[in-house]
Formats: sequence, C-alpha cells, structure tokens
Amino acid sequence: MSAIHLLPDALISQIAAGEVVERPASIVKELMENSLDAAASEVSVQLAEGGVRLVRVSDNGCGIDREDLALALARHATSKIASLDDLERVGSFGFRGEALAAIASVARVTLASRRAGAPHAWRVDDRGAAPEPAALGSGSVVEVADLYFNTPARRKFLRTEATEYAHCEESFRRIALARPQVLFQLQHNGRTLHRWAPGSHEQRLADALGGEFAAHARHIDAQAGNLRLSGLAALPAYSRAGRDLQYCFVNGRFVRDRLLSHAIREAYRDVLHGSRHPAYVLFLEIDPAMVDVNVHPAKTEVRFRDARAVHQFVFHAVERALAVPQHAGSAPRPETPSQVGAAPTTPARSAMSPRQTALGVEQPVATYLEFVATAISRDADTGSAAQDIDASPPAAADNDVSPAPPLGHALAQLHGIYILAQNQAGLVLVDMHAGHERILYERLKAMPDGAPATQRLLIPAVFSASARELATALEHGETLARLGFEVGQAGPAELAVRSVPALLARAAVAELVRALLADLRDFPAARVIEARRNELLATMACHGAVRAHRPLSVPEMNALLREMETCERADQCNHGRPTSVQLSVAELDRMFLRGR
Amino acid sequence: MLLINTPKEALQAPLQAVCGIVERRQTLPILANVLLERHDDQLVLLATDIEMQIRTTAPGAAAGEPVAVTVGARKLQDILRALPDGCELSLLLEDKRLNVRSGKSRFSLQTLPAADFPRMAAADGQAVSLRVGQGAFRHLLAQVQYAMAQQDIRYYLNGLMLLVEGTELRAVATDGHRLAFARTHLETPLARAEVIVPRKTVIELSRLLADADHPLDIVLGAGQARFAFGDIELVTKLIDGKFPDYERVIPQGHPKVLRLGRQALQQALARVAILTNEKFRGVRLVLDEGSLRVLSTNADQEEAQEELETAYHGDPLDIGFNVTYLLDVLNNLTVSEVECRFADANSSALFTVPDDPDFSYVVMPMRI
Ligand SMILES: Nc1ncnc2c1ncn2[C@@H]1O[C@H](COP(=O)(O)OP(=O)(O)OP(=O)(O)O)[C@@H](O)[C@H]1O
Ligand SMILES: [Mg+2]
Repeated sequence: MSAIHLLPDALISQIAAGEVVERPASIVKELMENSLDAAASEVSVQLAEGGVRLVRVSDNGCGIDREDLALALARHATSKIASLDDLERVGSFGFRGEALAAIASVARVTLASRRAGAPHAWRVDDRGAAPEPAALGSGSVVEVADLYFNTPARRKFLRTEATEYAHCEESFRRIALARPQVLFQLQHNGRTLHRWAPGSHEQRLADALGGEFAAHARHIDAQAGNLRLSGLAALPAYSRAGRDLQYCFVNGRFVRDRLLSHAIREAYRDVLHGSRHPAYVLFLEIDPAMVDVNVHPAKTEVRFRDARAVHQFVFHAVERALAVPQHAGSAPRPETPSQVGAAPTTPARSAMSPRQTALGVEQPVATYLEFVATAISRDADTGSAAQDIDASPPAAADNDVSPAPPLGHALAQLHGIYILAQNQAGLVLVDMHAGHERILYERLKAMPDGAPATQRLLIPAVFSASARELATALEHGETLARLGFEVGQAGPAELAVRSVPALLARAAVAELVRALLADLRDFPAARVIEARRNELLATMACHGAVRAHRPLSVPEMNALLREMETCERADQCNHGRPTSVQLSVAELDRMFLRGR
Repeated sequence: MLLINTPKEALQAPLQAVCGIVERRQTLPILANVLLERHDDQLVLLATDIEMQIRTTAPGAAAGEPVAVTVGARKLQDILRALPDGCELSLLLEDKRLNVRSGKSRFSLQTLPAADFPRMAAADGQAVSLRVGQGAFRHLLAQVQYAMAQQDIRYYLNGLMLLVEGTELRAVATDGHRLAFARTHLETPLARAEVIVPRKTVIELSRLLADADHPLDIVLGAGQARFAFGDIELVTKLIDGKFPDYERVIPQGHPKVLRLGRQALQQALARVAILTNEKFRGVRLVLDEGSLRVLSTNADQEEAQEELETAYHGDPLDIGFNVTYLLDVLNNLTVSEVECRFADANSSALFTVPDDPDFSYVVMPMRI
C-alpha cells in the first residue's frame, strides 16, 4: 500500500477552511468582502447566537448569474482575477476563489442571488442540487448556518456567544471603517445593534469608534509620490492598555502588519510610556503593484515591494502629526528655595557674599524647616491646599531636627512628574508615579485574595464599553469580584462599576477597569486569577497611582517619600525602572565647577 | 503720581481679600500681579486666576484722572505685612514703577501695564439673581462643601452644585462615595437655575463671607456666576457639565432608624479611628437592640471598641464605613442630635438632623 496518497477533495477544503474560517467572525469578513467586491452600496449582516448558528449577509450588489451560482461554491472559482498579471495588481478583496468553498465545507451554506435585469432570483445550497427559483430583489443573500456541525472537535474551541459576537462585531467594524460611502447594518438575535448610514470618513469613524477617540486624536493626511496616509492618530493621553484601538488599512483592506505597526510605534516612542499602546485608524494608499496581498490565508498581512520607503513615510507622517508644540502653559514652573527664602535681593547689587557660610548641621535644616512652614502656610493662604488630605504631618510640625530621612524632605514638584527632595547627601529626584505605583502594588499583593476591603460607590462609574469589553466583563465577573470590583452591564453598550477595592477608592475607575478588561480578554475565566494575579494587580497599581501633572502639596509629597522608605523594593517600579535618583552635593558641585 | 495715602490696615485688608486666589505658580507673569486702579475717591483692587476674579476697593484714593497699573501681589502683601502696625503709607506711580513709602521706608516695584491684565467679561444670556444673607449662605456651603471631589477625572464632581427652584436654594456636593445636601429658603420664588461652582471658588467664598446677616447678591448666569457682598465682588467661571441626579441617590424609607448624640458619636469614632487600617480607615458599626458598637482593627491586629446606648428597636446590623466619611459629616454639623438610617450592609446610610428636612448626607458602606 502506498504511504502517500491524494486527499479527498472534501478534506482538502476542510484543511483550507481551518486557515480561513477560524470562527464566525471570519465568515462575516469573507461574506462582507464579497458584497463589497460586488459593488454593493448597502450591506446588512444578521447573526444568531454569536454567528455560530447563523451568519446571513445580504447586499444590493451585482448579483450572480444562474449558470455561475454553483461555481461560486466550488473551489478555486473566482470572477475576480484570471491571470497572474491580474493578481499582481488586484484591487478586489477576494481573488482566491476559495472562501465560499471553505465555508461550505464546515457549515451549511445557501446562496441566493439575482442579477440586475434577471426575471427572478435563483438559489443553490452546498448539497449540489440544481438551482431553484427564489424571490429576492436584486443583489445576493448568503446564509451560513450551523458552523462546525460536521467537525465537533473545532466547535469546542468556540467561546461564549457574547465573545463570538464581539469578534463578529469587530470584523464588521473593520470593514465598515474603510467604506464610509456604504450603508452597513448589523443585527444580532433579531435586534439591530448598528446602522451606519453612508457619509464622510469622519462620520463613520465617530459611528464606529465613538466620538471620544476622534476628540482626542490628530488628523493625518500626508502624501509622498504614490503613497498617501490619512486617518486619525490619538494623542498620547488617550493611549490604551491594550492594542484594541489600532486599525491599519492598506488600500482599504484591514491588515495587521508588523512593518506598519513598528513605524507607528516608533513615531510614538518619545511620547508614550512603554506599557501603553497608541490608538489609531490609518489608511495607507499605495499602487497595488507595489504591495503583495497574497501572503496570508486570511489576507491580513501584506508585503511591500519597497518596505523601507513605506516605513519611513509612515513614521514621519505620524510623528509630524503628533509633534505639535506643547503649549507652554501646562507645566508648572518649578520653584527654588531661594525664591522663598528670607529676602535675597538681586545678587549683582548685593554687598554680601552670595553664599551663606555654613554654621554646622542645624543651620541648613532649620532654614529648610522654615521653608516647609512657609510653603504650608502659603498653601493654606491660597485655599488651594490639601484641605481634606490626611497626610502625615510635615517635618516642621514635630520639630524634627534629626538627620533627614533617606529620601529626604520634599522641596518641590518638577514639571508635575518628579519630586525634588533634600537629604543628607544632597538632592533626591523621585519619579512620583513610579514610586506610588510600587507602593500600591506591594499593598495590593498583601491584600487577601477573594475578600479585599471594598468601597461601594454612591455614583457608579459608568462608561461606554465595546461588545468585547461587555463580554469580557460578564465572563470574568468572578475574577473581578475577587479583585474587589463589582462590574455590571448598565445599558446595551455600557458598563457600570459599583464597588472598587478600598485601596484604590480614588483611582480613575473607568480607565482602570478598562485596562483590566484588556488584560483579561481571551483568557479562560477559571484560570486567570491563579495564573495572572500579579499581572492584574500591576495594572491596578499603575492606574491607581498618581498621574503625572497632578499637583501635589508638600505634605503629600513628604507622605509619599515616607511610604516609599518603608515599602519593599521601592527603589524600582513595576516595570523595573528606578523610582529615585540621588545627586550628591559633590556631584552637584562638580557640575557647577565648584571647588576647583 | 499719588494713588493713595492711607493707614496700612485700610489697604492691607482689601489686598488680602483679593490676593488669596493668586496662584503661587504662574505660567503668565501678569497673573502673579494685582491690578490697582484709582477711580474717583477709591482704589480698586482686582486679582484673578483666570477661573475666577475678585474685586474690592480701599477708600481714600487721591483725586485725579483714573489711572491703573499692576504689580506683584505677593511682594506688595509681604511689604505691607512687614511695615509697622498703624503706620501711614502711600502708593505712588512714577515712571512705570510703583513706589511704596512709609516713614523712612522706600520700596520701588516693577509694574506691568493694566491693559494686559486679563479681566473676565460679563457673560450675557439668561441669568437668575437672588439675595440671601451672607451668614446663611456660608452655613449652606459649610454643610456640604467637604463632600466635594478633588482632582477627580469626573470634572463635574470637583465643585458644588447650586440649584434654585421655586423658593428654595439647594447645595449638593459629592465625590462619588458620599453626598451632602442642604437647602435654604428664599423669600420670593425664582426661575430654575442649576450651576456647578468650582471647588476653589467655594473654598474662597467660605473664606471671604462674613458670618453675619449682611446681604449677598448672587447672579447665576450662563457659564458664569457673580457673588457681591460688602465691598467685594467675586466673579467665577462655572463647571460645564451634568451633575449627578442627587435625588435618586438619597434613599427613601430605610427601615433601621436611630438617634444619637452628635458629639458622643463623633468622639467615639475619633477614638476608634486610631486603630483603623491607615490605608482605608474602615470601621464597623454593629447595631443591636438598645446599643450601637463601633469597632476597628488595624493591620497589626490591634483592636478598638466603643459602645453607645440608643433607643433602637429593630433588626441587628453589621456594616462597615470609611470613618473619614462619617467624621466629615459630624464635624461639619452644629446640631446636638443626628438621625441615622440604614437598610442592609450593602446599602447606603442616611444621616439627617431630627426635625430638619433641609439637610441630608448619604454615604456608601465599605466591605471590610
Ligand atoms: N455577494 C456576492 N455578490 C456577487 N457575487 C458573489 C458574491 N459572493 C460571491 N460571489 C461570487 O462568488 C465567487 C466566489 O466567492 P469566494 O469568496 O469563494 O471567492 P473570491 O471572493 O473570488 O476569492 P477569495 O477566496 O479570495 O475570497 C466570487 O468570485 C464572486 O464571483
Ligand atoms: Mg471572497
């Protein structure tokens, strides 16, 4: 018996299907693409049970002749290209002629279609019978029912209905984003969830992604030779914990391309924290002959003939859009102790030596205490001070003249990011966010798993959530509860947080929960807490920690420094970066060429 | 050119009144200045932080053409503070410098032109005007302002909601964990108006208002509010946003009701608070027939307990709270008794004043 034999046709199709039809969302993508290739101006998608039981896509496109109907379901039958030459400059989504065949090998497919001018429509299914007449306006309806009915093993890999629906919605959104001139409609289990009317690119972006993103993004429209990049890139402040708001299109086709995401990431490099992800929707237009779309089964990767040029172009276009002049007003001017001290007149006119001779240790400490006292009384003066902060009392209050603590006494906040503090050795610079993050992380780790102290919210934090976020929140309710969050659905596309861990009672709740959901997505609910507890706690710490540009009063800063001193591993933040840096007086003197 | 010649105190008080809002950290140098304007026989003083502006006057300005200039607010204040009490001083504008003279002291300060000083334009559009007593309004603020949020990303919580409806003026503040509501009554019914006054303005108003029956004129307009009292006029921008529906949050019909002496409860809580977990300050209230116990435990397993007698008849309850939220309301009330209402350990608690429907405080529990 020969060891090598040809595979039966049906099995070949099923193997191919494994690559093309990963889950219901892939079917949504293939069918919608076919509708757009047929020049439809209206595309409607109906799903049942997350697309597992039914995906039906109807369009008003050109339709299929009776003679071609059966061919449409056959392997390697396409109307879109005829030669290798065509393939090299393909402008349609489809070109392999295998999507419908692949789908038909793992689900029950019915196809009804009517050409413009034909007296009526015709219908075929995947059982090979001759077409029968059907009633339909012009256009096509493709129905895919009972996915994986014949391959139960694959059925097991499908997730909950809500998750599968969320993936379908994402496919729908990707396709709709690139075609604002087409009307798209999405129904699930009989309910219409989206109806996006034809309109401008801006309108479609707002429909598909919500106005918040557009409001925080820069417009990009750059052109060089036969390359054009347009779309929106969000400002760093709108960055995300996950990659869920990254849309790249090449000639209208959604892609996940390493080269492009690298170029964009580089453009954000200077302005974005390492663990955050930029949000963007970018459309690259390029001569079809300069890009190969036939490199990936689902066509989500491309290969550029001149990769370097594309990388350069995209990088510069995005970087330029982001590099807007920072408005000088945002950063508070640092204050130096000399400004606050007794009454130094302009040094030029002063007859005194510009530097007070040291009288021993007490002297500078005493001056410092005076400074703290003034700073506090001034805070109280302006009324902007920490009114309801129960920070530990400042050093001045208990007249502590003993040597300064390791991280010293806070002097001021620098650019809303660093705390400047004076200790025995000299100057200490502390990254306030990183330091606070570490403290919170250690404290969260010490929190009992399963029953952390939680604060209930009087005004629940409600935020608009994508279908994916909704699904994740519902699937992982238990995990969230064990972390101290009570999250529930508040509307068709809204989540409400009703309880938060008491340790994070003051955090930006919505943002924090969104980040957690991004972490939890695609993880089997049962195992997540064991496997990833620390990771989740790190996310919570990062979001609970004081954000840059939050003004801190001197007592608040001192409280933070004291806590860092008693916290384990406080010298490094969760990402392994240092939290504080010491500059000794000797080092400072050297900088100023003193003592030479 | 002489601007004013006056006893030090007559200038120092109005200067202090306006300069409280001058921020220490300035991005625009002129914002660190105070505007001085000689106008008829008065010296007008005006300071701003862009979000709000305070204007007042000092009597006894020199006669002459109207003239205006701006000068560093802190420095002028520091100079006045350092001059001997009871001295006479004069301000003179000479060659773009402001000279301060008193006895043998001479100070020459640089100035910036008054024309560059940002003044808030009066807002047009619909406005509601009302008059209340300064003391009454100050009391209204004091009853709720501690519940305002601070630097919350829900920016509309970083302020206090004022609502005029019929003959009522209501004030509401919440930080999302607790909410305080207070109300005062007006003589004549007015058109409805709802605004959110920024936190800093509220604190400044409380500082400036007198605890007396003198009138306060309030104008609530579109995006802007004006408070005029004594010689002071404070104009502030308002927070543009939708304040949470406070009425839905105030619970109705909580079945477990008890009355407690305010100070007794306050002191018991303050003592028990010493041994709470310092990070989230949780205390347990355990309610039984006839008694309320207040308990705390900290991370080192140290414990505190207080027991208060009360005429309570109902089901037992064991509920946790952030002690700060309870102390806040007790510290800011002046009455002798408070009424507390509970449902279960997951529902809010309501604090009111017996026989006074004009105050409510709602606080959410904490699971410890
Ligand atoms: N909605 C539709 N309207 C008109 N014609 C359609 C429609 N759907 C499919 N067809 C026809 O059926 C053919 C087969 O579709 P199929 O998706 O299997 O292959 P393809 O789109 O050509 O290539 P690919 O496998 O790359 O998607 C198409 O070439 C097209 O002629
Ligand atoms: Mg196709």
